[in-house]
Amino acid sequence: MSNSDKNKTIALSVKDIQISFGDLMAVKGVTFDLYENEVIGLIGENGAGKSTMLKILSGIYKPDKGTIELGGKTLKLKSPEDANAAGIGVVHQEQSLFTNLSVAENMDISVGKTGSSSLMGFYNWAKVNASARQTLAKMGSKLDPRTLVGDLPFVDRQMVEIARAIRVGEGANTKPVVILDEPTSLLEPHETAVLEREISKIRELGSVVFVSHRLDEVIRVCDRILVMRDGELVAIRSKSEVDQNELFRLMVGREAKSEKREYRRQNQGEAPVVELKSLTKKGKFKNVNLALAAGEITAIVGTNGSGREELCKAIYGALPADSGKLLIHGVEARNWSVPKAIKLGFGLVPSERKVEGMVGGLDASSNLSLIFGKESTVGPLINTKKQKAVADTWFEKLDVRPKNPTLELERFSGGNQQKVVMAKWLKSEELELLILDHPLRGLDPGAAATVNSLIRQAVQNNTAVILLADTLEEALEMGDQIVVMRDGEVSSVFDLHKEQPTSLDLLEKMV
Amino acid sequence: MANNNSGTISPSANTASISNRINWRRLAEPSALIATLFALIIIFSILNPRFASVENLRNLMDQAALPLIIGVGATLVILLGSIDLSIEGIMGSAGLAFVLLSANSRSESDFGLLALLAALLTGIIFGLLNGLIVTKVKVPSFVVTLGMWFVGLGFATVLYGTETIPVLTNPEVSSWSSTLTFGAPNSFWAAVFVVILGVITLILTKTGRSIMAIGNNEVIARNSGIRVDRIKITVFALAGLLSAVAGIIAAIKLGSGSPSVGLGSLFITIPAVVIGGTALAGGKGGVLRTALGVLLLTVLNNGLILAGVSPSFQSGLAGAILIAAIVFAAWSQRDRLRIAK
Amino acid sequence: MKTSTPTEARAVIDNTTPPKKIQFRKLWQTFGPATIFLAVFLMISAFNPNFLTSGGMGIVATLSAPILMVALGQAIVLNVGSIDLSNASMSLLGAILLALALPNFGVTSPIIILLVTTAFGIFNGFFVAYTKVPSFALTLGTLGIFQSGALVFSNATAVYVSDNKDFLGHLHTTKLAGAPTTFFIGLAMAVILWFVLRYTKVGRGMTAIGLNETGAVYSGLKNRGLKVVAFGISGFMSGLGSLVIIAQSGSASPNGLGSDLLLPGIAAAIVGGTSILGGATNPINVVFGALTVSMIPIANAVLGVNAQAQSLVYGLAIISIAALMLNGSRSGIVK
Repeated sequence: MSNSDKNKTIALSVKDIQISFGDLMAVKGVTFDLYENEVIGLIGENGAGKSTMLKILSGIYKPDKGTIELGGKTLKLKSPEDANAAGIGVVHQEQSLFTNLSVAENMDISVGKTGSSSLMGFYNWAKVNASARQTLAKMGSKLDPRTLVGDLPFVDRQMVEIARAIRVGEGANTKPVVILDEPTSLLEPHETAVLEREISKIRELGSVVFVSHRLDEVIRVCDRILVMRDGELVAIRSKSEVDQNELFRLMVGREAKSEKREYRRQNQGEAPVVELKSLTKKGKFKNVNLALAAGEITAIVGTNGSGREELCKAIYGALPADSGKLLIHGVEARNWSVPKAIKLGFGLVPSERKVEGMVGGLDASSNLSLIFGKESTVGPLINTKKQKAVADTWFEKLDVRPKNPTLELERFSGGNQQKVVMAKWLKSEELELLILDHPLRGLDPGAAATVNSLIRQAVQNNTAVILLADTLEEALEMGDQIVVMRDGEVSSVFDLHKEQPTSLDLLEKMV
Repeated sequence: MANNNSGTISPSANTASISNRINWRRLAEPSALIATLFALIIIFSILNPRFASVENLRNLMDQAALPLIIGVGATLVILLGSIDLSIEGIMGSAGLAFVLLSANSRSESDFGLLALLAALLTGIIFGLLNGLIVTKVKVPSFVVTLGMWFVGLGFATVLYGTETIPVLTNPEVSSWSSTLTFGAPNSFWAAVFVVILGVITLILTKTGRSIMAIGNNEVIARNSGIRVDRIKITVFALAGLLSAVAGIIAAIKLGSGSPSVGLGSLFITIPAVVIGGTALAGGKGGVLRTALGVLLLTVLNNGLILAGVSPSFQSGLAGAILIAAIVFAAWSQRDRLRIAK
Repeated sequence: MKTSTPTEARAVIDNTTPPKKIQFRKLWQTFGPATIFLAVFLMISAFNPNFLTSGGMGIVATLSAPILMVALGQAIVLNVGSIDLSNASMSLLGAILLALALPNFGVTSPIIILLVTTAFGIFNGFFVAYTKVPSFALTLGTLGIFQSGALVFSNATAVYVSDNKDFLGHLHTTKLAGAPTTFFIGLAMAVILWFVLRYTKVGRGMTAIGLNETGAVYSGLKNRGLKVVAFGISGFMSGLGSLVIIAQSGSASPNGLGSDLLLPGIAAAIVGGTSILGGATNPINVVFGALTVSMIPIANAVLGVNAQAQSLVYGLAIISIAALMLNGSRSGIVK
């Protein structure tokens, strides 16, 4: 840290914070100071631990180790309420306003007891409205505090969230510490400009921790930038001494290089299995054109909020698109639904495995035969013996443990569950398209290798595959083509058999 | 109906115009209810001149009193996104407790005001139990309160025992509800008092605003530092207390104690709350709206009977209205993947 | 590389029920209903030895027949994660319609009634599945309509079967080991439903929906159709309940036999090991549930508790068993 830091007051001091979930250490001894009237940026890849760090600062998670000091006093944050009472206001990634309450109420509701505008539990509406108006005015906003939040456009709601975070600080009689968690990911460009103005306003009132995946923005907005990787704080840079490329490198941790491909394209020049023609879902993705060929892996990369998850659900029939066409072997799909998609040979391995991917309370063999169960059913009846025999062969083939398909699927480990979920689709000889949404999430390296080999096997059977990978390296390693999405649109497509982009090239198109 | 899903991007509108505009959409719903109410009053007055008589007006007030009182509690519970089906059971228990502790034909031991307090306490305890089991044991409210409905009825039956019917012997007590004050029956004034308290609680207290917040989004409410469990327990206890008030008045009206004093109350209250525009999902609606719903249903039932329709149709009508109202409210969200239990 | 995002890790921790609790729940669901039945049975026999010798179990079986019918229907609906508050009133309306139909249509009238109540059930299911309204609210509404129907068709008095009542009466009077044929029909239905749940695609689909509707939909199950089927079965079982009422009493009235079947029905399903959250039921155990529930008035009597207080016991049973089975299994939001 430079010498000029000495004459600044420390607003928030974080020392040696550490937290684990099960075997996974999500944050490993993070230490930093936040000065008054300063904006610091916190960046890192998905899963680097920045969201966890924010949740600790906002009192949602309790760290296993470490201290947080605010204005020189050590805080014990046991709940979001404690954070609010201390004067730490959070603007969450998802909007967290009550749409049925007014702007002023939303701003008042999180304020700690001391600063609240209520007496003995009774609201002083005049005071609630007046203090909200005052805070809004400080931010240069002319919003009427009596307006219902549900009636406000998106960008104004963001303003309310920020104003609320500042009110929290005022309520605690301290200079507000405002935490902004990826606030720009859902905003339009002109709205982002508004937000950046708002952040510089907050700098005059207090201090800000700003989390974003848009590196240009971070450099524009922040005074200093903290980089997290694998749960560790790997670098602190002041804005004058870094550029985007260096931040990329710090985030990713190594020079990006193109990987040698291990297998060759199966088919060439054939008509695509599935084609998307300007498929659009309002607020999620727009004008997506894609061609998916048999035996090819299309990896879609993008940040949170890029719309790629929603796109996959729309292709699978789980989310109805607003406009555009979905063509299967050149024929337009109508009244698209999940049962229809499955009938035509579509499969989905969702990222929310426990909620969407399986029926955990049902035994593993039943889960296997929920789809393409013909071999183990006679008309409407289930032949449980046959069903178990089919499951046994797949358990053997994929080395699922414990080798007992009559156990409820929820009692298997994550990796073994995922193998069963994959097998459910791979059983079919006629699988046309397999959509894989973070198929390796939560898996140990061994299980991940098995799942990857299963994906290759599907490709060998001429299935078209869509892959939403956990990392860019994984996408580069597995894909035949890479589609980059940004803010709901396809920003670029790479054919990996013709060009060799690095993960930096991809990141550039993502953010 | 306003769809208040958080995260929906409302059509970008000029902020200034929003702040100065009266929100007609929000006024449209209650206005439609008031218009329907007046239309019904006019139609019934034409069908039977007795409908518009002063005597029938008092009748209407008396009939509306109990559902108004219970409706306030039910509204608060439903605004949380929960439900309270235990109304009739609590009414039975509290009503009987009141009668047995007041001067009655079984015993002359009159505990006076203490009887009233004991009966109210009975309701609070049942309500507290509802709230505690929902929040701490995490059993869904419709199961807990369904069970408590019958625990209440059973408790009342045990209190009732096998002796003769306990009749209220103090004429001052037994005539209280129908006694007129300023031209309206006391029961109605009690209801007005409760409704006003309900409105104040919901609009002017931190608890009330927290109820709205929890109903809108419980996860955000927890993360905003609202003490969700405590508020839920309070609301269930309050609903129990109001059911007890209704049970006491019902027993006074009847003049004697009976476990089934609340029979049919659930059936007018829940539809009234829903017709008033309070969403079963929580977070939207209010006490005054419920009052409108109660008045509408009371006028409808009273008017139909005066018009010569058999009372047998009453519960069916309330049921049909309930279905129409919930289907209408849920229509915009009938997405295939939405889970409704 | 990152194998798990922290939020997911946390979610995993939250959703995992300790194996001991799963074990306990499974044990309870398998053996609990029979154990409770035996316990209550032994208690009554101990206090009152005459119960065994004077054909007490026959009486219990007779009492349980109508409860068993609605309880089986309720169990199927609970299994998909919904509830049917209208099934008892449907039974009563069906009984009144049956009493009115028997003199005119004779032997075909039971079939007509079964078709009518099944249609009522399908109506419930259709609304729940396609408009996504909460089932307790919708069926509370139809409960009111069926109640009204019962009052209107019966003119609010008892309807006696004036003709053709004997062939149904035989179902009640023909007994095996002291228990009437109606009970054995219920038993047969329990076995059939057990088979359906265990060995058919429809049955497994319904259970899957009750366990995890989102996961079931993503696996291509037709969640709406399956819910309609579940409510349809509940309607059909209510119709069988109507038959039992007429067979037992030869008459039907809005406040007579069958007018308070709702709670015993739910209690029997839950005492029979059915989960109120869906995805777990065993119709054969529901038979034990129905028998246990039918013994409660007798148990009350031998214990010297007011026999009329049975609803207190039913209510407590529903709450405490629901609490017992849910405790610690959920961490999410409970409405």
